[in-house]
Amino acid sequence: MTQALAGLRVVEFTAAMAGPWIGRFLAYCGAEAIRIESKQHPDVVRLYVPPRAPELGTQPQLSPWFTDWNAGKRFAALDLTHPRAVELAKGLVAKCDVVIENYSTGVMDKLGLGYADLKPVNPRLVMLSTSGYGDRGPCRDYVTWGPNIEALSGLGALSGLPSRECAITQYAYPDALSALHGLFAVMCALDHRNRTGAGQYISLSQFETTVAALGPVMMELLVNGREPQRPGNGSLHAAPHGCYRCAGEDRWCAIAVSSDAEWERLREVLDDPAWARDPRFATRAARLENAAELDRRIEEWTRERTPGEVMLRLQSAGIAAGVVQNVEDQLRHDPQLRARRFFEEIDHLKKGRVVATGVPLGLTGTPGRSGRAGAALGQDNDYVFGTLLGMTPGEIQECIELGAIETPDDPQGAVPSRPP
Amino acid sequence: MDTTGAAALGGRRVLELADEKGVYCGKLLADMGADVIKVERPGGDATRQIPPFVRDEPDPDGSLFFLYTNTSKRGVTLDLGRAEGQDLFRRLARTADLVVETFAPGRLDGLGLGYASLSAANPGLVLTSITGFGQTGPHRDFRPADIVASALGGSMYVTGEAEDPPVRLAGSQAYVAASVAAAASSLIALYHSSASGRGQHVDISIEEVTTSVTHICGVGKWLDDGIIPRRSGTGLFASVPSGTYPCRDGTVYLMVNRPLHWKALAQWIHEETGNQEVLDPIFEGPSSSRQPVRELIDVFVGDLTRRFTVDAIYHEAQRRHLAVTPLNTAAAVARDPHLAARSYCVEVEHPKAGRLKQPGAPYRHSETPWSVSRPAPGVGQHNEDVFCGELGVPEATLHSFRSGGIL
Repeated sequence: MTQALAGLRVVEFTAAMAGPWIGRFLAYCGAEAIRIESKQHPDVVRLYVPPRAPELGTQPQLSPWFTDWNAGKRFAALDLTHPRAVELAKGLVAKCDVVIENYSTGVMDKLGLGYADLKPVNPRLVMLSTSGYGDRGPCRDYVTWGPNIEALSGLGALSGLPSRECAITQYAYPDALSALHGLFAVMCALDHRNRTGAGQYISLSQFETTVAALGPVMMELLVNGREPQRPGNGSLHAAPHGCYRCAGEDRWCAIAVSSDAEWERLREVLDDPAWARDPRFATRAARLENAAELDRRIEEWTRERTPGEVMLRLQSAGIAAGVVQNVEDQLRHDPQLRARRFFEEIDHLKKGRVVATGVPLGLTGTPGRSGRAGAALGQDNDYVFGTLLGMTPGEIQECIELGAIETPDDPQGAVPSRPP
Repeated sequence: MDTTGAAALGGRRVLELADEKGVYCGKLLADMGADVIKVERPGGDATRQIPPFVRDEPDPDGSLFFLYTNTSKRGVTLDLGRAEGQDLFRRLARTADLVVETFAPGRLDGLGLGYASLSAANPGLVLTSITGFGQTGPHRDFRPADIVASALGGSMYVTGEAEDPPVRLAGSQAYVAASVAAAASSLIALYHSSASGRGQHVDISIEEVTTSVTHICGVGKWLDDGIIPRRSGTGLFASVPSGTYPCRDGTVYLMVNRPLHWKALAQWIHEETGNQEVLDPIFEGPSSSRQPVRELIDVFVGDLTRRFTVDAIYHEAQRRHLAVTPLNTAAAVARDPHLAARSYCVEVEHPKAGRLKQPGAPYRHSETPWSVSRPAPGVGQHNEDVFCGELGVPEATLHSFRSGGIL
């Protein structure tokens, strides 16, 4: 079966997560993604010390994040401070449709690879830069990681239990969020290019993307002039609504009851206890008013039961409920993720096979494919410079000696090129 | 070839049958220039009742959620339970590139409006379904909610303080992330459809999108180190130091990810506080070398941050290339000088709700800028334009549909 983006070629100048994720998704859909790296500025994700074997030191090919976020890509290594390397990079850009970059703001311009340099080489090019603050404005050079953006955007202080100051994720949510927005932004530009022939430049500020994702919450302030209350697990329009302790160590189930009809069904599941007939819980407005007590009552019931039992009994009655799953639950015990084969096993040049988190794009007519796990810096130099740019082995060798092309550090990783 | 194309998605038509799970998907498409026709039930969708409201006055045109998530769309009403409503929808779908829907799996099929039926008349059509758990599998009929997807998708278990219950993020982020994935995937499917003439059914599971988004805490890490990530406050487990730190007048978030950044931070702590110990080479290197003494490092960092105001440490840290940002309230975001310099927020004039300030472009396209082309539609505001003007339904028929409750 053909893939949706077969024939599309992407060149990445990326590191960490927000940039590489976009290429990962495009590659999954059939695009050829080529990632350019250099030894002088190693991707922070490659600075990985295996926790079970710290004596090995830094293992750039073993990071589970690197291998997953870069699955299905080709790897080429260039020292972009070298003029010949910049020429080679431009040669690749001339043959591609999309450039993704998330270097610090201004670095691509300094290297002679900014959009102004690349557009003459390829007028149909769609180029996306993603950074914390965007390409202009007083703080454009500021350094951020995903969690910084949670704090900066308001997401952190607007989230969390009312008794706390904030909640910050353990998974750098703005990186993923802005990568998904970036993927959409690139596809918009490709739709336009396919209609008009014109490429363009896209600058994405993760700060702005995250604030946009909080739109309705921000409008409480922007329109009504009021700082939004930290909602915790509650809701302004549904009760009971929360995360309830269940039997077992750190086991919880989320429950959301949004209508009176659902409340009636919940009462039935609870065997219609006397407290639930109290008029203070009879209507949605009353339940919202008395949500704290309602939550305590419900938790008396849930804490006697496993979260799986709570979920199944409520869902059987048509009430939204779900186990607060940890990663082991998801991989080993979630029948839905298993039935849909969400987690995948993919090839890894050093580890053999690794389990990768799925790509949730749901393209049933053109299913995606993850390809080989992220490999060594320069792994596919021969393919990229030889096959794609048509350089002879002698020319490649000359560039290696010049220092323009860099070679993989780890000879074991330098398996001859094969389709990723 | 059309060479004007001022909007990226100009010429694309989208029908939206979406509740709160998918309205942000439609907004993303509409603000990039697609003609998104929102199809609501007669009387208007339930999402119009989501509080809070403009000036706290409940009104079907006053929900802040509805006003934000439906910009740039047109609005029609249809009773899809009735044959006349289904017929009009089918005719509309023949003119569309994309249908975005959030019904429970099987519901559209039950109405005779499923993918097989719609694509028979329009083979290039893409149908994107956004549901809690997907179109297949043993949980496909489970009832979704943002908090339920956040729970099953693994985001809640790892978010919050260790001694607190798991907590979800503000602003229904499970729905938001799924909507963005759906919008991107829809355009990927349209890219293929334009080339091949064949559309497809895009099956977005909100549980799967959430699981994907929590990747840093996901299977790869767990299978590698054997540690199941759980809640651990504001610091990221992999980065030391990282987390929120107190200042004189508020809080900042600080993160160190590179050996170089640690050296710069340690030097600054030393300069500012006189701390000698912090310069000890045993703390140098990647985060893993500081992991065993994380609490001590936090004390060192707190001694530094407490000496400054938020604003002072933010800019001084950044001058030193250290990733420090303020923990902003909504009010602080609204007055942020960087966003102001970029003219980030936009004002949208709504005929009933007035001028509505709101977050603007999530990305800046050089040739086809994001823009709000119209405010969120009123209930059935574009019924005549769309059904009479574009489908050629006679006015008299439309009136009888209206009085018959079909619109």
